[in-house]
Amino acid sequence: MDETRRPAAAARAFWTLAAAGAAVLALALGAAHYMELHGHVVTGMSNQVVWGLPHVFAIFLIVAASGALNVASIASVFGEADYKPLSPLSVLLTVALLAGGLLVLVLDLGRPERLVVAATHYNFRSIFAWNMILYNGLFAICALYLWALLERRLAPLAKPVGLAAFAWRVILTTGTGSIFGFLVARQAYASGVIAPLFIALSLAWGLAAFHLAQAFFARLAGEAMDAAMLVRVRRLLGIFVVAALYFVAVHHLTNLYWAKQAAFERFILVGGAPYPALFWIGFVGLGSLVPLALLFHPRFAGARATSVAAALVALGAFAFLYVFIIGGQVFPLEIFPGYEARSAFHDGRVGSYAPSLPEFLLGTGGLAAAFLVALVGARALPILPAAAPAIPAAAAK
Amino acid sequence: MARFGMVIDTLKCVGCMDCVVACQTENDVPQGHCRDWIVTETRGTFPTLTMEIRSERCNHCDNPPCVTCCPTGASHVEDFGRTVQVTADKCIGCKACLSACPYGARFVHPDGYADKCTFCLHRVKDGLDPACVSVCPTHCMHFGDLDDPKSAVSQLLASRRHHTLLPEAGTKPRVFYLD
Repeated sequence: MDETRRPAAAARAFWTLAAAGAAVLALALGAAHYMELHGHVVTGMSNQVVWGLPHVFAIFLIVAASGALNVASIASVFGEADYKPLSPLSVLLTVALLAGGLLVLVLDLGRPERLVVAATHYNFRSIFAWNMILYNGLFAICALYLWALLERRLAPLAKPVGLAAFAWRVILTTGTGSIFGFLVARQAYASGVIAPLFIALSLAWGLAAFHLAQAFFARLAGEAMDAAMLVRVRRLLGIFVVAALYFVAVHHLTNLYWAKQAAFERFILVGGAPYPALFWIGFVGLGSLVPLALLFHPRFAGARATSVAAALVALGAFAFLYVFIIGGQVFPLEIFPGYEARSAFHDGRVGSYAPSLPEFLLGTGGLAAAFLVALVGARALPILPAAAPAIPAAAAK
Repeated sequence: MARFGMVIDTLKCVGCMDCVVACQTENDVPQGHCRDWIVTETRGTFPTLTMEIRSERCNHCDNPPCVTCCPTGASHVEDFGRTVQVTADKCIGCKACLSACPYGARFVHPDGYADKCTFCLHRVKDGLDPACVSVCPTHCMHFGDLDDPKSAVSQLLASRRHHTLLPEAGTKPRVFYLD
């Protein structure tokens, strides 16, 4: 393209994308208002399934936000200078994903207008209260981190703040996993392995989100991605996907070892449609094994294959979280094993959940909010690395 | 300080649901929701069957997971009778307590906050029994101070075999069922 026309085209693309993101966000706000007006009853949620599709989006965004810091942490904490130019994008993406996730969480509250109560009354025995502090703290640390990365005078602060951000995100993901790990009221949860499982998932999902964002901004700028960095990201993403699979396997194998969990595992892994299909095809197949083939087979060494792999990892994340959050809630806690119960309530019954359109729209609003924050941030701040050495034509297919 | 609890005789309960209707009327429970409910539980194969009918509700646990997980302290242990209560104005509707309760005793009120059995504390403060206890036609339900050895509930627990729901959860429920 003619160099004189490039800024105009970039501006047009920016405003078009921003308008599209804002439209999706507006739909989400409308959906949230509708649910607020009519109450819990217009959602697919019930007394048994209290966290529905919006939570799938929210937990994905929050867990991925923690993992999106991977690249900045590798540069600041582990001293790999090659990753340094990408650090600002890594931190911006963390802020963007976290903002999107929290937006969904807040709008999914029964009484979002009472959020100020949550900010002024803390029950420190509650993991939920701790998470509020952790989420807000990550915003503050990331803001300082980004400032230190972009402002030359603050450069000496980058390493200590980066170290703090690294520690904070590990604690934050532990806290997010512990929401479920501390729940004794469902067969699916109450396990110490859920916290490290969430950390492993965050590494994979965050790096996948980072790669997709990097590829998107490179395409928007009409620039090629750094070939050497692409090779590193591919290897790293592959390792993280294997680590996530490992922890998921440990979680289920531990459950299978306990006789009392056998019925739940049979439900999730074999018989309780649609959850087994989502788990095996969605998460294990499309979300893990296919990306691993794309990442490690030399035939798929290009940027496009890496983006497809990253997109599949993100898709698998949604499948995993749907099974984990919804499937985990619909399976009832067995109060008296061996008894057959008939109840005027829902004791002992497998619940059902069909997400409603407003819930879906609210969830996509979180993605749109994250997209808008990243888009505006990348335009307003010198976030993106300068044009990198082009990827060889053969590899870029 | 009193520690209120409930004792329900499963041999006398006929599952008539008077307790459910009384609760809904007394507490203006929104349509489609309930603060108490009836469970009929059978075990064995014909002809050697055993059956238990239970009126269930919030267990006002001594170790309540709903209070522990509540981020704002809306779910709390009330000084009067050591019962578990919800301050609706402090509840943000995060539903953490619904997830944490092993008994499924809570629901989201149409106004967005978590709601559940209060042991009819407003009646108890006036010296009355909870609505469900007062209407039970077979007098299978008893309410009182578990720390008072002379109370009816303490004497029933001292003289009859009983069980609670899901004791292995460590919640220490205060609704007891006489065998």
